[in-house]
Amino acid sequence: MSDRYTRRDVLEISARGVALVGLGGLGSLLAVKAHGDDAWWIDPGKCVNSRLGALGVEACQSCATECVLPLSAVRAVNDFASCGRCYICPAYFDIHSAVGPDGLPSKTLCPRDAIKREPIGWIDPDDPANNYYEYTIDESLCNGCGLCVMGCKEPAGLGSIKLEVRHDVCLACNRCSISTACPEDAYERLPTT
Amino acid sequence: MSYRLDRKLAGRGTGESQFRAELRAVACDGERQWYLAGDQELEVLTSDGRLVNRWATGRPGWSVAIDERQRIWVGEPGQIEIFSAQGQLEDTWRSTELFRLVTALAVTPEEVFVADAGSRWIHRFDSDRRLLNHIGDKHRKGGFHIPSGVLDFALDRDATLVVANPGMHRVERYDPDGTSRGHFGRFGQQDPAAFPGCCNPTNLALGPEGEIVVTEKAGPRLKIYDRDGVLSEVVADSATFDVACKNMDLAVDRDGSIGVIDTIALDLAVFEPKMKPGAISAEGVAP
Repeated sequence: MSDRYTRRDVLEISARGVALVGLGGLGSLLAVKAHGDDAWWIDPGKCVNSRLGALGVEACQSCATECVLPLSAVRAVNDFASCGRCYICPAYFDIHSAVGPDGLPSKTLCPRDAIKREPIGWIDPDDPANNYYEYTIDESLCNGCGLCVMGCKEPAGLGSIKLEVRHDVCLACNRCSISTACPEDAYERLPTT
Repeated sequence: MSYRLDRKLAGRGTGESQFRAELRAVACDGERQWYLAGDQELEVLTSDGRLVNRWATGRPGWSVAIDERQRIWVGEPGQIEIFSAQGQLEDTWRSTELFRLVTALAVTPEEVFVADAGSRWIHRFDSDRRLLNHIGDKHRKGGFHIPSGVLDFALDRDATLVVANPGMHRVERYDPDGTSRGHFGRFGQQDPAAFPGCCNPTNLALGPEGEIVVTEKAGPRLKIYDRDGVLSEVVADSATFDVACKNMDLAVDRDGSIGVIDTIALDLAVFEPKMKPGAISAEGVAP
């Protein structure tokens, strides 16, 4: 058998290659389709809890109260890169509560105690105001009520906390009850790509 | 002495003295002229708001200072531009390391103080621009804590630097060599003498008698403290300023008039001292 390729051999190999590439692309497309190619998400620029300029209004808690799940699929997420690590965080403390003997607000804001406050770095035990603080949200406790998001919004805070849909929890209902209840049309279904 | 809102200058718009998108910094000179930096321009207004001059700056201005030769120093990202009184660019002083974002300036015949929001320090230079020392570098937090991104200070008559440290709810005093001379202030949402929210006061200026005039964000307020840090007056609040304002720069002229920037309305609110009790004017004797 000759080890030289004829013109016909080359054309056949090329045709098989093109077919394989085409099948691969179709397969990828079908894979995306099978996993769902759209999902619910929250537009922070529309959500009243995070939308700039929406001030002096009560936090909307529809994400916590309207989801069909026992614990909503929505969570508050702190973007550490934009967090100020403040001594007194208006998303953690109820800054309107009375000041205690330690100089801090006497109440916290989260009704489920889902935000943890820890001093970070080299800690000054004598002057707590001299430390930076990290605020982490326990997702097993957070129900997406949005109170902390409203507290963190500019200009009071830096807007580092936003509401997000946890897609590993979300049932992706066609007629999402949060979306139906959202007063700002901020709860949208969008393509994942 | 108490104050009242007298007038608002500039404003948002396309008029000759108005700003389209940004208004960030204000200073005043011995002639009671206002210098406003916004929209990558610098404009000069008379005390009553008439436009004297306006020109483009190389980069957006975040701070303004006037030196004894009436030159105008504009603090920008990465550089300081120095203009003649007529608006001609005389010099550009660049430093990507030391001037990451220049949000306050003070210029004396002997020294220049530059607040850099990037390092969160104030840099002290001699008149030949040799770096002498930093102020705030020995702070345990590595610098002043400025979550809102602006570091503001003023130079007192006795060469003390008065610095806003909003993350610690304090006004702090330093010698030019960086030695701390104490502080006042504490957190408090209800007590007007305290500083509310995450981080206040954001900006400050000094009055003719050394009184400390501060602005706060969320909600916006203008307050005056005496030299000892005792609250004298809450001059204005969200009834005067847009509630979304933050980092409201301010300046006080030689007669005690206070100019405050509304960063949303893009205007300069000018507050005038009310007549002192017993003072005699054309209107009669003040009560």
